[in-house]
Order: sequence, then structure tokens, then C-alpha cells
Amino acid sequence: MGKQINVALIGNPNTGKTSVFNALTGLNQKVGNYPGITVEKKEGVCKLPRGVKAHIIDLPGTYSLNASSLDENVVIELLLNKNDKDFPDVAVVVSDVENLKRNLLLFTQIKDLEIPTILVINMADRMAYKGISLDIDVLEKELNTKIALVSTRKKTGIDDLKNLITNFRDLPTQPCLNAREIDPDYFTRLQSAFPNQLLYKLWLVITQDVNFGNVSRKEVDALDDFKTKSKSDLKRLQQKETIKRYQFINNTLKKGQTIDLAAAKDLRIKLDRILTHKVWGYVVFFMILLLMFQAIYDWSSIPMDFIDGLFASMSEWTKDHLPQGQFTNLIAEGIIPGLGGIVIFIPQIAFLFLFISILEETGYMSRVVFLMDRIMRRFGLSGKSVVPLISGTACAIPAVMATRNIESWKERLITILVTPFTTCSARLPVYLIIISLVIPKGRFLGLGYQAMTLMLLYLIGFGAAIGAAYILNKVLKIKNRSFFVVEMPNYKLPLFKNVALTVIEKTKSFVFGAGKIILAISIILWFLASYGPGDDFNNAEAIVTSQYSKENLDTETLQQHIASYKLEHSFIGLTGRAIEPLIQPLGYDWKIGIAIVSSFAAREVFVGTLATIYSVGSDEEDTIKNRMAGEVNPILGTPLFNFASGISLLLFYAFAMQCMSTLAVVKRETNSWKWPTLQLAAMSSFAYIVALIAFQVLK
Amino acid sequence: MNTIIQNILVVTALVLAVAFLVKKFFWTKKASTKSCGKDDCGCH
Ligand SMILES: Nc1nc2c(ncn2[C@@H]2O[C@H](COP(=O)(O)OP(=O)(O)OP(=O)(O)O)[C@@H](O)[C@H]2O)c(=O)[nH]1
Ligand SMILES: [Mg+2]
Repeated sequence: MGKQINVALIGNPNTGKTSVFNALTGLNQKVGNYPGITVEKKEGVCKLPRGVKAHIIDLPGTYSLNASSLDENVVIELLLNKNDKDFPDVAVVVSDVENLKRNLLLFTQIKDLEIPTILVINMADRMAYKGISLDIDVLEKELNTKIALVSTRKKTGIDDLKNLITNFRDLPTQPCLNAREIDPDYFTRLQSAFPNQLLYKLWLVITQDVNFGNVSRKEVDALDDFKTKSKSDLKRLQQKETIKRYQFINNTLKKGQTIDLAAAKDLRIKLDRILTHKVWGYVVFFMILLLMFQAIYDWSSIPMDFIDGLFASMSEWTKDHLPQGQFTNLIAEGIIPGLGGIVIFIPQIAFLFLFISILEETGYMSRVVFLMDRIMRRFGLSGKSVVPLISGTACAIPAVMATRNIESWKERLITILVTPFTTCSARLPVYLIIISLVIPKGRFLGLGYQAMTLMLLYLIGFGAAIGAAYILNKVLKIKNRSFFVVEMPNYKLPLFKNVALTVIEKTKSFVFGAGKIILAISIILWFLASYGPGDDFNNAEAIVTSQYSKENLDTETLQQHIASYKLEHSFIGLTGRAIEPLIQPLGYDWKIGIAIVSSFAAREVFVGTLATIYSVGSDEEDTIKNRMAGEVNPILGTPLFNFASGISLLLFYAFAMQCMSTLAVVKRETNSWKWPTLQLAAMSSFAYIVALIAFQVLK
Repeated sequence: MNTIIQNILVVTALVLAVAFLVKKFFWTKKASTKSCGKDDCGCH
């Protein structure tokens, strides 16, 4: 048993690197049918024949070694640094059989670093469909390496790949292109200045400096003394290099690849003509959104009511069967309702992720990116910002991380700042419960008003993001120019396994992630609501009894009065009262105020918080929804959740920056407190103003 | 007797809850630059 083999999976975006990685390691990393899914390297272990073990690294997609964005830089830094513990013994370049020409550019560059390089031609199952045939022997000879023809979907070729990796020492390491050909004079001088270094690597370090400036140059020290060309000359040479490479690739493919266009049954062109059409594209997208939200409503109302009822009876059971005391109360009034406030949303969240992952897997999401790109351009953003904005519908945190593939710092910053406006899954619970309380159930043309409201809220989120981006673009004084080519992957039938895994993973992380926070917050809230300072709280019974002594109330009503008096004088009641003046103009009472404040930890906490506050002191165990519907505005005497206050709340949650985790990530990605602070202040005050106007106009 | 046990449990739960939240939000550990797949980059 020798040491582990280090294997790096490298390739253009969306060629199936992560799918190959999963096939080799048996892990389940996220796969999706659009470029830029993987933004950081991931590692796993693969058992090879003869007891050899390989340490596999999955890397972000990169078009070439002339990096222009942060995630591409990860790849280059790894390949240029021989001392890195992950430095590959063998590079596996994953290519997509339908885009071989473009994919081979990167292959030739890596081969020229004289690292043993295996070429994986993935998606072999698409060959017949596209009329592509390959002569692998010829290609192997021309490219001077071994090739594995793989389909991770049909699970073919993986064993060949494993064998090739095991025998990587047999791979030839001659380069494809002699770097000297690019500019004989310059490169000869370069080589004689550093006789012990690989020429192409020298060249990369020099040009990398042009684009980036932070590649570690430990190995090529003293390079600073060798500055003989201007930046623009170097760029020109780089272009020359690319042309030379493409000449080589074209020659190779001419010999080894034939494409029979007549055999290609191209559904894709026809579909794209409609789905990316100037008008129909948007119409179709709109319809898909509508159907999606309608389905989320229709399919989840029954399980939702069931869960809501279940938690109510659980509270009741706990009170009846556990020994009486404060801890039992904590469970029945604090923990169970609080957790119920999140579990109740499992069906909707699961359906939301189901739709999102189907849209991703089929390739439709990339068409949406294309459609959005057209709109975004007018507002000074490129389409690269669209991917984060769309993935923000799940959660803003991975979305903020996804901005790493935006080259221009200004654009990246703007995208980071506006991404939290997109409706993330944490807002969904708040929206759903409030919509169900204040928007009528009726239907128009088969589409429910409630579903339409939900869709409107998603659109408002996007609108706010775009609007904010437009303003920021005008305000921020950072010079910038960037271009974007939307990559259109092929349409594919979604793989059930990929979809199911995404749904389960995301739902699990939603429930458990939010569940822990809610559990903690419910305990604290229950405590604050069940205890209070001073005589008012401790003598509540005496005070209330004497207050109502003339009215001859029955015991039940009297108990209710005592409970609400206690709640108002508990710690939480006093706090709520203190902030009430601030939120009363928006149409909320102090209990909603507390729920909003605790939502700054995470938005999903809203419903759980209300459920806990409403439960404390009340004897009857009721469902969350009924309790919310029964609340009365203490001043106006109308139901607390009515159209005006409901809309105002919805808008508040649409715009406010209520998520500590996102703020932490923004701080990390921008490396300063300035931006998250600005985000928090600007978004939340905007939310406040909009909510205020909405309530004052509608009431 | 019973009430004492229950009160102890309540206080324990409370301390645990506060500790959890403090750890989660204020004790921001060194930013993880690891993968963003299964753990969702710490969403929630
Ligand atoms: N038809 C077919 N589709 C495949 C195959 N392998 C992967 N795919 C699909 O190709 C898409 C991209 O796969 P990923 O593994 O995410 O690609 P990636 O190279 O890791 O992409 P990035 O991380 O974004 O650079 C997914 O929709 C996969 O389901 C294959 O062998 N055949
Ligand atoms: Mg990937």
C-alpha cells in the first residue's frame, strides 16, 4: 500500500464534475443543471482496485487557466503550488461530449503543466441523441493521454476511470503545445532566465499576475526582475496562446470526432425558441410560477391543518398527563407550540424545494437566468447576478456565497447587498400564515387569490432587489466593466434521485436549523412571559379580582382576565409595552412586536413566537391559526390580523433584513462591518416606512 | 418536592437555551470556508 493518490476533478462549469465525484466517492454533493453550482472545493475518498485509495477533490468549474473570478482562482492556486498538500498526482479533466471543443481548451492547458492528466468525456448517453461519434483511439493518440468515456447518468465508464487513476504513473506527461511557439523570442529569454522552471508555468504565473496578483510565487521567486512586457502585450500573447490551442483542438477533433447533424433530433432549439422568447418566455415563466404557488397551497393545506391540530392536542395531552408544575407548563405552553410553529410548514417547504430542484435539474432555470439577464441589463447588472438572486429563493446565505463567481467587485458587492430582498424560504411560513388569515379564499379563473398574493410577494422581492441594485449602481463609485455569457445547458429529464435528495436535505436543514433556534427562543420567551417583576405581576390575582369584584364574573372569565393581566405585566409584556409606540402606527400590538423583534434572529421564528405567547396562561389548547384569528386589536376593537395590518406585516417581512446568519456571511464575504450594517439599517427602515404607509392607507 | 424538581428543570432549560443562542450568534467561530453542500453554508 503506497500513499494515497491525490486526484483533482477539473473542468468547465456544468460538465458533471460533481456527478463524477459522487460516482467515485459515493457521496451526495449538490448537482444542478446550471453552471456555478460548486463554488468551493470538496473532498472525498475513493477505493480503487488493488487496495489503492484515492483522495478526490471536486473543484469549481473553470473555463481556462486564465482566471478572472475568485472561484476559478481556487483551481489555479492549487495547480501552481506543488507544495500544497492537495496538489494532484493526477488531474482528471471532466468534459461534456456536446461541448468538447470548448472543454478541451482547459485540458490542453492542464496537460501543459506536465501533470498526468486523464480526460473524462462525460454525458456519453447524449451522443446518439446528438449524432456524435468519437474515435477514442485517435483522440487518445492526438491528445497523448488516456480517455474515459463516461456517463454518470447511465453509470457507465466509472470503472474504466478508476483503473486509469490507479495506473496514473503510466500516463505520458508531454505537453500539447510548446509554449515557445507563442512568441519564440520572448519565451527563449524567459527560459534562460529561469532554466529550472517549467516554461508554461512561468508563463502562467506572469499572466496570472496581470489578472489577479495574488498567486503564490514562492516557487518562482525573483520573477519581479523579469518584467519585459507591458500588460497589454502580455494580454495579446495570451490571446495568441488561446488561438494556438484552438488550432490544435480543431485539428484533433477533425480526426477523432464526427457529428451527424441529420441524426441529431433537436428538441432543444424548438423549446428554446419559445422558452427564451421576448414575450412568450416571460408568459411561460409567469404561468409556471403561478402554477407552482397554487400547487404549494392546494397540496399542503390538508397536511398543514393536520399538523396544526396534532400539536394542539399534544399540548393538551401534556398538560393532562404530566405532573403539574412549571416544567410541564414550559413544555405545553412554550416548547410544543413553538416547535409546532415550524413543523407546520414542512409540507410547503418541501413542495417549494421540490419545484425549485425540478426547475434546476431540467435546465429550465438557466433559461430563467437568460430571461432575467435581459431585464437586469437595463438596471446595470449583468446576468451573473441572476444566479445568486434566484438561488436566494431557498436561502440568502448560499446565494451570497454564490456571488463569488462574479468577477467585478462592484457588481459582486451590489449583488451581495440586494440578494436578501429575494424571498427566501424562511419568509414563506410568515407569508403563508398571514395570507391565510387576511386574504379571502376565493378563486379567479381557477387561481386562488391567496396563491396570487404569494406570487406577488415573490415578485415584489425580486423587484426590490432590482430597484435597489439600480440605485446602488448609480450611487457606488467603483469603476467596473464586466460581460456575461449565459450558458444554456441542455434540457434533461430530472433524475428522481437528485431531486429527492435536494428536497430531503433542504427540508431537513430548514426544520432542524430553524428548529433549534425556535426551541431556544420558545424556552426563553415562555420564561419571560411566565414571570414578571414587582407587585403588579405577583399580586395579579388580588388586583384583578378586586377590579372586577362588582361585575360578578364567572370563574372562567375571571381566570382569563387574570392571565392576560399577568402576561401584560410579565417581563415580556413590559418589553412589548415599551416598544409598542413604535409599532402601533403599523397596526400591530405588542405581541406582534415581540415576534418581530425575535424574528431578527431568523424570520421563521415569527409564528412560533406568537404561538408561545398566545399559549402562556390560556387553558384551552387551540391551533395556532385559530388563536391568531381570534386576537383583537386592543385599540380599534377589530380583529388584530385584518387586511390592513396583514398587508403591512407582509410588506414588512418582504423588505426587512431579519437574519443574523446572513449578516454574518455578508460581513465575511465583504470583509467589513460597514456593508452588513448598512444593509440592516437601510432594509429595515425601508420596511418600516413601507409597512407604515400600507397600514395608514388601507385601514 | 415535585415543584422543586420542576423549577430546577426550567432553569436548566433556560440556561441551555441562552447558551445555545449566544454561541450561535455571538460566538461566530472562524468563518468556515469549507463546502456549501450538505450544511447549506450554515443557513439558519
Ligand atoms: N445526460 C447526462 N447528464 C448528466 C451526466 N452527468 C451529469 N449530468 C447532469 O449535468 C448537470 C451538471 O452536473 P454537475 O455534476 O452539477 O456539474 P458540475 O461540473 O459539478 O457543475 P458546476 O459545479 O456548476 O461547475 C446535472 O444536471 C447532471 O444531472 C451524464 O452522464 N449524462
Ligand atoms: Mg459541481
